Amino acid sequence: MSNLLEVEDLTIQYKTRDASVQAVTDATFSVEENQFVGLIGESGSGKTTIGEAILGLMDDNGEIASGKVRYKGEEIQDYSEEEFQSKLRWSEISLIPQASMNSLDPIDPLDQQAIELAKTHTDWSKQKILTRLQELFEIVGLPADRITDYPFQFSGGMQQRAVIAFSLLLDPEIIIADEPTTALDVIMQDQIFKYINQIKDENDTSMILITHDISVVFENCDTMVLLHSGHIAERGNIKEIYRDPRHPYSILLEESFPDIRSPDKSLAIIDGKPPVIQEGVDMCTFAERCPWANDDCFDELPNLEPVAGDENHYTSCIRAEELDALVEGSDVAGDD
Amino acid sequence: MIEMTAEPVLRLEGVDKDFSQANSILGSIKNRVLGRDVEQLHAVDDVSLTLRRGEVQGIIGESGCGKTTLLKTIAGLHEPSKGDIIYRGENITEYTTKEWKEYRKNVQIIFQDPFNSLDPKYPVKEALAEPLKIHDVDDIEDRVVNVLKDVKLDPPERYLDRYPDELSGGEKQRVAIARALVLDPDLILADEPVSMLDVSTQAAILEDLNDITTQQDVSMLYISHDLSTVSYICDRVNVMYLGRIVESSETRDLLDEPLHPYTQELMAAIPVPDPFAERERTQIQGNPANPIGLPGGCRFKDRCVERMDICDTTPNDIETNDQTEHQVACHLHYDHTATDDVAVSANGGDGHE
Amino acid sequence: MSDLKYILKRSALTVLLIFFAITVLFFIFRLLPGDYVSVLAMDGADPETIESLRAKWGLDEPLYIQYITYIENVLQGDLGMSHRYRQPVLQVTGRAIVNSFILVAPAITTAFILGSGFGTLLGTNRSEKGELWGIVPLTFIGTFPIFFMGILLIIVFSFWLNLFPTGGMAAVTQQGLPYSELLTSAGFWIHYFLPFLTIVVNMLYLPALTMRTSIVEVLGQDFIDYHRAKGLKRRAQMRHVMKHASLPVITQYPVSLSRAIGGMVVVEMVFNWPGIGYLLLQSVYQRDFPVVQFVFLLIAVWVILGNFVVDILYSSVDPRVTVEGQESN
Repeated sequence: MSNLLEVEDLTIQYKTRDASVQAVTDATFSVEENQFVGLIGESGSGKTTIGEAILGLMDDNGEIASGKVRYKGEEIQDYSEEEFQSKLRWSEISLIPQASMNSLDPIDPLDQQAIELAKTHTDWSKQKILTRLQELFEIVGLPADRITDYPFQFSGGMQQRAVIAFSLLLDPEIIIADEPTTALDVIMQDQIFKYINQIKDENDTSMILITHDISVVFENCDTMVLLHSGHIAERGNIKEIYRDPRHPYSILLEESFPDIRSPDKSLAIIDGKPPVIQEGVDMCTFAERCPWANDDCFDELPNLEPVAGDENHYTSCIRAEELDALVEGSDVAGDD
Repeated sequence: MIEMTAEPVLRLEGVDKDFSQANSILGSIKNRVLGRDVEQLHAVDDVSLTLRRGEVQGIIGESGCGKTTLLKTIAGLHEPSKGDIIYRGENITEYTTKEWKEYRKNVQIIFQDPFNSLDPKYPVKEALAEPLKIHDVDDIEDRVVNVLKDVKLDPPERYLDRYPDELSGGEKQRVAIARALVLDPDLILADEPVSMLDVSTQAAILEDLNDITTQQDVSMLYISHDLSTVSYICDRVNVMYLGRIVESSETRDLLDEPLHPYTQELMAAIPVPDPFAERERTQIQGNPANPIGLPGGCRFKDRCVERMDICDTTPNDIETNDQTEHQVACHLHYDHTATDDVAVSANGGDGHE
Repeated sequence: MSDLKYILKRSALTVLLIFFAITVLFFIFRLLPGDYVSVLAMDGADPETIESLRAKWGLDEPLYIQYITYIENVLQGDLGMSHRYRQPVLQVTGRAIVNSFILVAPAITTAFILGSGFGTLLGTNRSEKGELWGIVPLTFIGTFPIFFMGILLIIVFSFWLNLFPTGGMAAVTQQGLPYSELLTSAGFWIHYFLPFLTIVVNMLYLPALTMRTSIVEVLGQDFIDYHRAKGLKRRAQMRHVMKHASLPVITQYPVSLSRAIGGMVVVEMVFNWPGIGYLLLQSVYQRDFPVVQFVFLLIAVWVILGNFVVDILYSSVDPRVTVEGQESN
C-alpha cells in the first residue's frame, strides 16, 4: 500500500515571549490509503499541533524546526501559504477542528459556505455542490432541507455534524479529525462513527483521528500513534498494540479508562503530568511518571525501535523487552 | 456504606420543572392575563428518587435531557413547578431564608468546568475559606489544610497560596471538590465533574471521589452523560430521557440487565476499548424530540425499536421489576409482570418496600 | 412578533421620543431671560411697540399656553415666523440646513472611510512599532477640541501659508448665488477645504480605533481559522473578516452623522460657515424662539431617527440579531 502521507522526524517549536516550547519531537509515522490512524495523547501531547502542521495552520509563533512531511511523495513542510491553499487544503486534506461547533462562521448560510468552498477548489456547478451538500447532510443525520440555514440556527451537536459534512464535501484523500465527537453524547458519537466508517468503505478515504479517547481509536482505527509530551511512545497496528503493549504509557493508559464491561475494576493512576519540553529533551519524556524507569531512562531520549522485528509495531521504551516481567512484578494497573 | 434504615438524605416526589416560552417579562404577563396556554418546556417531568446516607447515585442522559435542570432545582436555583423535594424529612420548598442558608451549607455543588468555577482572583486558601466564613465556622485554617489533604493536594502548604491559573485542570477540579467538602456537607451535587479533564486525571479524581464518599459518609448525586464513569463511582444509576427517569437500578444490575430500550441503546453505543470486540453499532435514528410541546405518552416512542400502540396512549408509570429495586418505565415490562409486588401509582412513587 | 409589527411599534416610540425631546427643549430654553422683544428693547424701541409686538407674537401669554399653541401649530405644519427676520422659519433655515449638510455629511463620511481603512491596516498588521506610530498620533489628534483643530489649521494654512481663506463659505461677491453656480465655482471649494479638513481630522480616530479593535477581536475567532483551513484565498478570508468586523463601525456611522448635524456649531463658528449651527447660535443670542424651536425639533428628529436607522440596519446586516433580540433555536 502506498503511503499517502509521511511524517518523518518532525520537530515543532513554539516561541512565546519568555521561552520556547518544543511541542513535538522527532515524530515519525505515515498514513496509507484507506487507513484510519489514531493520534492519541493527553492534552499537551502535541497531537493537535501535528494536525495543524500538516496543513500549515500553525500560529505565527510555531515553526517546524526540523523534519519532513511528504504528501503523495512531495515534500510539503516548506510550502508557502499560497501552496497550502491551492494544492493541499480541503481538496486533498480536509479538517474537522477541535470544538468544531465554533468553527462555522455564524453569519453565512451553510449553502453559501459550501458553494464558496467548492468553487475555490473545483469548477463544480452550484447545482452539483448543493446536491452533494444535501447528500452529506443526510449521511450525518441532518435534515437536507436545512442547508439554507445559518449555523447559529443549529444546535451545537448539529453544527458539529455540519462540520463533518463539510469535511467530506470535496471527497478528500485524508480527513484530519481533531476530537470530532468530544462534546457529543455517546449515541450521537456512535452514529457519527458509523457514517464515517461507511464513508471510508465507499470512498477510500483515510483519516487521522486525533483524540484522547482510546476506546474510539480501538474501535475505528487501523493503526495508532501514542504521543507523550510531543514524542511518540508507541506506534503500530491497533490489534498488535492491544495484544502486546510495549510501552509503560500504553499499558497504564489502557488501564486508566473505565470499562463498563468491568465496572468494579480499579483504575490505574499515572503519577504526575506530561512535562513541558523546552529546548530539546535529553531523557525519556515519560521517565518521571514511569513506575519502571531505571537510570538509563534518564540518560537520553530513546528512539522508536521495532518490537521484536515487527515492522508494524514500534516503541520508544528501552525496557520494552522486559516489560512483561516488570508489570507482573508490580502492583500498578488494576490490582487493588 | 449505605444506611438503609435511616431517614433518606434526599427524596424527590413527582418533581416537575417547566419553563414557559415567553421571551420577556411583559410577554409572560401578557400570556397570563390573556389566559393563553403557551407551550411549556417540560424540562423535568415527574421525577422521583430516594437518596440514602452514604449513597452515590448517578443520573445519566444525553445533553438536554434535563439532568442539569434537575440538579439546579435540587440545589434551590430553580423552583420546582410541581412536586416535593424532601431533605432529611423537610420540604425545602417551604423553607425560610434561615433554613435555606442551612441547606446551602449542607448541600454543595461541584460544577463541570474547573476552568470557570474558581474565581481567578482568589488564591486557593481564600477560595476554601470563603464558604467557612459565610457560614460562621471556626478554625478555618485547620479545616482548609485538612480538606486539601482529603483531595490529595498534599502537602497542602504547596497549594494554599496558588492562584487558579497556576494549577492544572485536575488540580483545579480538586480544589473545587475541596471547596464543596470543606463545610462537611451531607449531600454533594456533582455536575459532570470530570468530563473536561484528561482521561488519566479523570481516573485519579474518580478514585478519590470514591474514597471520600465512602470514608466521609457523604451522599452524592452525580450527573453525567458518560455511563462508564458513572458506573465506576455510583451505587445506583437513574437513566433520564427528555425530562423523565426511564430506568433506575443498582449499578451492577443495570449494566447486566438494562430493561428500557433507551438504556439498551445507550449501552450499545458505548465504545469498547478493545479492537477485537465486535460491537454492533446503535440502530437508533435521529435526535430526541423537541422538548417543547411534547405529545402525551412515552417520550421515547418516536425512536424506540420496540414501540407498541399502547405507548402512544398512556404515559408511563414507573414500576418495580424485582427485588433489587430495579424500576423501569416501559410498557414492555408493564405488561409482562404478573406478580403482586407490582406497585403502580400515577405519580411514580417509590414502589419499594 | 413579526418585523412589520416591530417597526410600527418602534416608529410610535420614536414619535413619542421626539415629542418628549422638543417639550423638554422648549421649556429649558425659556429659562433664559428675555425674548426677542427685549433684544429690540436694548436698541431703544418704545414701550408701546414692545408691548404690541409681544402681544402679536403671543409672548405675553402664560408659558403653558405658548407651549400648547406651539404644539398645535407644529402638528398643523405651521412652524412659525422668525422674530428676527420676519420670514417663515423654513425660509430662514432652509439654506442654512443645506449649507451644514454639504459640509458635514461628506466630511464625516470621508472620516469614516479613511478611519476604517486606517483601522483595518492597524488591525491586520500588528507590530509594536506600527501600533505606536498608528494609534498614538491618531488618538492624540482626536483629543484636540475641534475648535482648537480648526484654529490651528487656519493659522497654518491661512496665515502662514496663505493658501486658504480664513472663513466664510464663499467670497462676499458670491453670497446668495444658487447652489448650481456655487458648487462649481473655485471660490466655494477654497473656502470649503479647511472646515472640511478640520472635521475629518477630528473624527478620524473613532472609526479607526473601533475598526482596529474589532478586527483584532474577529481575527481571534475560531471560524476565521476554519476559513483558512478550508483553503480559501486570502481575499476571501478578508471578506469574511470584514463582514464581521465592520459591524460596530457601521452602527457608529449613522449615529455620528446624526449627532454631527447639530453639533458642528463650533466648526461653523470658527469658520463663519453659514450653516444651521451658526444660525442656531445667533438665534439663541437673539432669543428668536421660532427659529430656535425649529432647529431643536430638527436636531431631535435627526438624532432619534439616526438611532432608529441603526437598529434596523444592524438587524439586516447581522442575521443573528432578529428584530426583537430573540435567540433562534
